[in-house]
Amino acid sequence: MNSPVNYMQRLRIDDKELRARRAFYEITDEDLARLAGLRAFGERNGAAIVDALYQLLLEQPESRTFFPDDNTVSHVKAKQRDYFLGLFQGRLDLAYVEDRLRVGAVHERIGMPPKLYIGAYSRYLRLLFDRLLAELPVDEAHAAYRSLAKIVAFDKGLAIDTYIAANLNTVARHQAAIRELSTPVIRVHRRILLLPLVGTVDSHRAAQIMETLLLRVVEEQARAVIVDIAGVPTVDTMVADHLLKTTEAVRLLGAETILTGISAQIARTVVQLGVDISTMHTRARLEDGIELALALLGRAITTTKAD
Amino acid sequence: MRVASSTELPIATESDVVIVRRRVRELAQRNGLDSFATVAITTAVSELARNVLVHAKRGSSMIEEVESDARRGLRVAFRDQGPGIPDIERVLVGGFSTAKSLGLGLSGSKRLVDEFHIDSSVGCGTVVTVTKWARF
Amino acid sequence: MPGPIPILRVADNLLVTVQTDLHDAVADAFQEDLLVTIERTGAAGLLIDVSGLDLVDSYVARVLVDTAKMAKLMGTETVIVGIRPEVAATLVRMGFTMSGVRTALNIDEGLLLLPRPRK
Repeated sequence: MNSPVNYMQRLRIDDKELRARRAFYEITDEDLARLAGLRAFGERNGAAIVDALYQLLLEQPESRTFFPDDNTVSHVKAKQRDYFLGLFQGRLDLAYVEDRLRVGAVHERIGMPPKLYIGAYSRYLRLLFDRLLAELPVDEAHAAYRSLAKIVAFDKGLAIDTYIAANLNTVARHQAAIRELSTPVIRVHRRILLLPLVGTVDSHRAAQIMETLLLRVVEEQARAVIVDIAGVPTVDTMVADHLLKTTEAVRLLGAETILTGISAQIARTVVQLGVDISTMHTRARLEDGIELALALLGRAITTTKAD
Repeated sequence: MRVASSTELPIATESDVVIVRRRVRELAQRNGLDSFATVAITTAVSELARNVLVHAKRGSSMIEEVESDARRGLRVAFRDQGPGIPDIERVLVGGFSTAKSLGLGLSGSKRLVDEFHIDSSVGCGTVVTVTKWARF
Repeated sequence: MPGPIPILRVADNLLVTVQTDLHDAVADAFQEDLLVTIERTGAAGLLIDVSGLDLVDSYVARVLVDTAKMAKLMGTETVIVGIRPEVAATLVRMGFTMSGVRTALNIDEGLLLLPRPRK
């Protein structure tokens, strides 16, 4: 889920990280106090600056595509006004970070590329500087600008992080999907599960298989699990060891494992390698495995009509 | 690798072991380790903490929340000034019969974590460090 | 003297539910209470429910296996039920198979594995 809180967790932004960032961007209490003192300035100029910012964005063909309708524009402008006022809060705590990430998330969600979103910050500063010079004595305007520039730099860093976190979330989702697809456990009958394995099985995948199977055994209250390895190209000592371990783990849950799809080649390889899988139920054909599973549960397939 | 936090806890009694376990479980869940990874690291920690208690009588543990390449994880180190382990290689292979519990605890723990380091020699105490990463 | 872990009678069997950590004194008392009860009742079967345990390290695993062996010597069949998926995975990965001990998904399944009540 792409929420600010989720981003904060994924980016590991905690008090310690926050302190480190503040120090890195050289944001002092003086800076924050100066900006808090300019709150009225912020409230006076907020709407105008945000409007000017989006006017510029809407004029550019490339950025205009991200604002397909008036609703999107007003939604984003409202968020941007909140952001603008946030610059004059005079605090830089985790709540502030969460706010910033929220604004970033909104722009990431509408698909605006980082270069445009982050590029907009420069316009912010330019617009702000103009207003500051117009309303404050020169020295004060410069001091205020310097403090604002530091906060904006800090915020830019967070904006970049938002995009990174969103990408990381996408990768995590894809990886979860891949894991699920590679371990398709099917309930073939009451309390009997079937896992047709296809493709190579490395340690990583084997661990995944064991965990998924165990969870499904509990979920389905399975008493028999059939693992078909006809689609596994090589069965060496490592794979056999993984299958044995999985069988043991499934047994601890009170269920039996039946290995099917043992081809002539696999049978030959396994014995020649000296791997002992004699403790497992094994069959060459899946259908024999299914019949064995049924038998273990006290059931059988009967013929009701002559073939 | 970045260390986000570190907690040092003593190991001198059975209840200390429970405290260390609880802390590790809490941090594991907080750092995105799934239920299998959490039980794995917590069990390894339980084994190693008991080893300290049984073989060295007392020691300490250092629990760190770590981060590397956008992956989060936990690193736990166990330190003691005990007798030390004379033949680490054999012990790690497992089934070292005269110190059965030690053997099983060490070799077993090794298989439950992603990274495992051990520094031990007779008369110099032991340091065992294990790391478990969250799935991406 | 009743120990900290209650032992229930279900027909000709004993049922014990392990919720707390089984270490040292607690483990000793657990074993002692069970064996004494078996001696007294001559129970045919023993169900150890560990569904409440989210962690079983080699020490606890050994206590369970040893208890089952001791019960067997006294003529009582043991079935351990409710091992959680994470615990099962961890045990086999550690190399601890608990071989020789029967297991079941839950108490109902476990009872099916125990001998029928003796007349």
